Amino acid sequence: MDYQDYPNHYKCCMSKEAKFCPGCGYPVVLRFLHAILKEKKLEKKTALGLDIGCSLLAWDLLPINTFQTHHGRVVPTMVGFNRAKPDLLSVALVGDGGAYAIGLQSLLWAAMRNDPVLVIVVNNTVYAMTGGQMAPTTMVEQKTDTSPVGNDQPPVLGPELIRGLSPKAYLARAAVNDVKQLNIYLNKAVEACQLGNFALVEVLSFCPTNWRTKGAETNERVEEMKKVFKIGEF
Amino acid sequence: MLLKILLSGDGGQGIQLMSDLICRAAIQRGFFVSHMPNYGLEQRGGVSLAFIQISNSEIAYPKFSKPDVLVVMSDQARERTANHRCKDIGYLILDICDFEKKIDEQKIPRQSQNIFFLGLIAKMLEGKGVLEKDRVFGLLEEKLGKKPNWAENKKAWGLAKNI
Amino acid sequence: MVVKACIDAGAKMMFGYPITPGTEILSHWIREAQTDKSLKYLQTEDEIAAGFCVCGAVLAGEKAFTATAGPGTVLMQDALSMADGMRLPVVVIVVQRGGPSSGTVIYSQQEVNLAIHGGNGEGLRLVYSPSNLSELYEYTRLAFNNAWKYNFPTVVLSDGFLMKTRQLVDLDFKIKNFSAEPIISENTQKNIRNIYTFEEELGEKLAQDKKDFEKMGSEVIKSEVFCGRGQVATCPYFDELIIAHGIVAGAAKEAVDELQKAGKKVGLFRPITLSPFPKDELNKLAKSVKKIFIVESSMGQLRDLVKQNLDAAIEVDGLYKPAEGIEAEEVVKLFE
Repeated sequence: MDYQDYPNHYKCCMSKEAKFCPGCGYPVVLRFLHAILKEKKLEKKTALGLDIGCSLLAWDLLPINTFQTHHGRVVPTMVGFNRAKPDLLSVALVGDGGAYAIGLQSLLWAAMRNDPVLVIVVNNTVYAMTGGQMAPTTMVEQKTDTSPVGNDQPPVLGPELIRGLSPKAYLARAAVNDVKQLNIYLNKAVEACQLGNFALVEVLSFCPTNWRTKGAETNERVEEMKKVFKIGEF
Repeated sequence: MLLKILLSGDGGQGIQLMSDLICRAAIQRGFFVSHMPNYGLEQRGGVSLAFIQISNSEIAYPKFSKPDVLVVMSDQARERTANHRCKDIGYLILDICDFEKKIDEQKIPRQSQNIFFLGLIAKMLEGKGVLEKDRVFGLLEEKLGKKPNWAENKKAWGLAKNI
Repeated sequence: MVVKACIDAGAKMMFGYPITPGTEILSHWIREAQTDKSLKYLQTEDEIAAGFCVCGAVLAGEKAFTATAGPGTVLMQDALSMADGMRLPVVVIVVQRGGPSSGTVIYSQQEVNLAIHGGNGEGLRLVYSPSNLSELYEYTRLAFNNAWKYNFPTVVLSDGFLMKTRQLVDLDFKIKNFSAEPIISENTQKNIRNIYTFEEELGEKLAQDKKDFEKMGSEVIKSEVFCGRGQVATCPYFDELIIAHGIVAGAAKEAVDELQKAGKKVGLFRPITLSPFPKDELNKLAKSVKKIFIVESSMGQLRDLVKQNLDAAIEVDGLYKPAEGIEAEEVVKLFE
C-alpha cells in the first residue's frame, strides 16, 4: 500500500526523517494523527506520550510535545499528566505488547476510571523492536521468535475486553490499509477525549521486517488479521 | 599476530553475515577469533558495526578503536566510524565511495554489495595467510546458494576477485 | 553460552520477557526446549511476573531462572526481594545495558548496585561477574549449584558486549551438579512467611541470614590477581593496583601486560564474586599498594564497593566511563 498517494490534506510536514523501517505502519498512524490535530488546531495543545518499542522512534518526529516513557507505562504517565494539566489533550501511543501485556493493568484501570486519555494501540502482533517475539495479539498458530512451532494462545482483543469495564469510553479498531476509516475513528476518539472520556483506537499495522513479507504480502497479512481482529466501533 | 577488522554499514546491508563467514573461515584455520556486533535500536536503518579480531593467542577484549582494516558501506557508517580512522602504517580502508563506479558499471544490486566487499576482504586475508578465499566462498554458497538472488551474489564475488 | 550452562546445570524452567540485550537467552532456551522436551518455559506478561514465576517454580523444587536487563532488572527487584526474604534459590542473569531508564540497549556496568542492593533489604545475594565467555559458562554453572546449596538469590552479572561476543571456546569445566530439593511438596508440612509481627522476630531471622551468608562467603568468594601473562601466581609487590570486574578486566589485563613490559609495577585485582566481596583478598593485596585505580563502565559503583571493603586509607583514583566500553589503551594512558 503506497500511502504516498494520499491527498495532500493528509500529508504532514515532519521535523526529521522517520527512523521506522520501510513499510512500517507507524508513520501512517502518526501522519493522520498529526493531520487531525492540525485541523483541530491542537498541535500546541497536545502532549504525546510514547511507550518503549517501535513507538519510541516517534520521539522527535512531530512538531508536538512528545516524550518517551517506560515499557507499559505510557498510559499511567498520561493519566498523571492529564490530571495535572487537563486543558491539554493527552495521547498515549503504544504497541500491542506495551498495551496488552506489561501495561494491561494500567490500561484497564485508566479505562475503568474513564480517564480522558486517548490511547492509540498499534497492533502488529509481535514485539517488533526486539526482533519479533510472541505478543499478546499473536494469532493462533502464528510462528514467532518465541513461539517457533506456533502460538496456541488466543490473542487479546483489547477494545472488546475494555467495553464491559468502561461504559463511557470510545473504543474502536481500524487498520493502516483503510485510511479513510482510520481517520474517522481517530477524529471521533479525539473528540471523545475532549468531552472527558477515555478513548482507545487499536490500529492493525504493517511490520514487513518481522513478518518477513514483501509488497502485497504485507497487505494480505493485515487482511488476515481482520478476520481475527474485527474492524469497527465497539 | 593480531588483526583487527571493523565492518560498518547500514542495518540490513548484511554486515553480520559477512562477519560470520570471515570468522568461520579463520576458525577453520586454527586461529583465535572474536566477533562482536554493535548496533542500536532500529531493526532497519541504523548503523551496524562488526568488530572482528583474528589472533594467534587468546583475545582478551572484544572491542577496539584502531582497526587494521576498516570497511565502510554507507554514509551513516562513514560518519559513525570517523573516530576509528587512524594514519598508521599498513592500515587499509575499503570505502564504498571508492568502488561506486565499478559497482554501478557492473550493476551490482544493493543486496549484493556486501558480497562484493566480502570478496575483497577474503582476497586480502588470503594474502595475509589468514584464510582461503575459496573456503569463504564455500561457506557463502552453503548459506545463500539456494536463495533467488544467488546469481547476483556470485557476480559480486567475481567482481571483487578481479580487483 | 548462558543457555548451555543453564541446561548443563540441570535447569529445567525459564521464565522471561523480551528485553534487549537479554532476549536471545529466552529465544535460545525456547529453541532448545523444542528438541529437549524436559525443558519448560513461559514468556510472561512482564518481568515482575517472570521473577515471581521463578520463585514459585523454585519453591516446587525445579531449577528455574530468568534473564533480564536494564529497566527489566529494576522490575526484577520485586521478586528478588521476596527471594531475599524467603531465602529462595533464584538465579537471575542480568545483562547490563546503559542506564538509567531505557539508556541504551548496548552495554554498561551500571547494574552492580541493583544486582546486590536492589531489594529493600541488606543485599545478601551471591553475585558473579564473569569476564569472558568461558567464565560466563563456569559461573552460571556455579550460580545454580551455590544458589541451591546456600539458598541465597544468585545473580550472574553480564553485559551487552559479552553477550554478543562470539568466540570459539574450549569448555573444560566439570563439576557435579547440586541436586534441587523441593521446598514444598507432598512430603513436607511447611508454613513459610516473609512478613513478621514483631521487630525482634525479623531481627533474629536476619541475624541467622547474615551468619549463613558469611559461611557461604568463606566457601564461594572468588577473585583474581593478575600481574602479566605468563607470570607466576605469587606476583611481585605492586606500587599501583588496578581494580576492574567483568569484561573491563579483560582490557585491564591487556593493559597490565603492556605496563609490566614497560617496567611499571602495576597489577590487577579482579573481584569475581562482587557479593560477597573478596574483602580479605583485597586488603592483603592492598597492604603494599600506594595507589588504586578503579576502571569501570559506571560512575563509581565498583569504586564504592571497593571503598566499603578497603581497610587502609589508600588513594583511590579511576577511569569512570558509564555506559561506554573501555579499552586497554585507555587504561595504559592512566599511568603515563
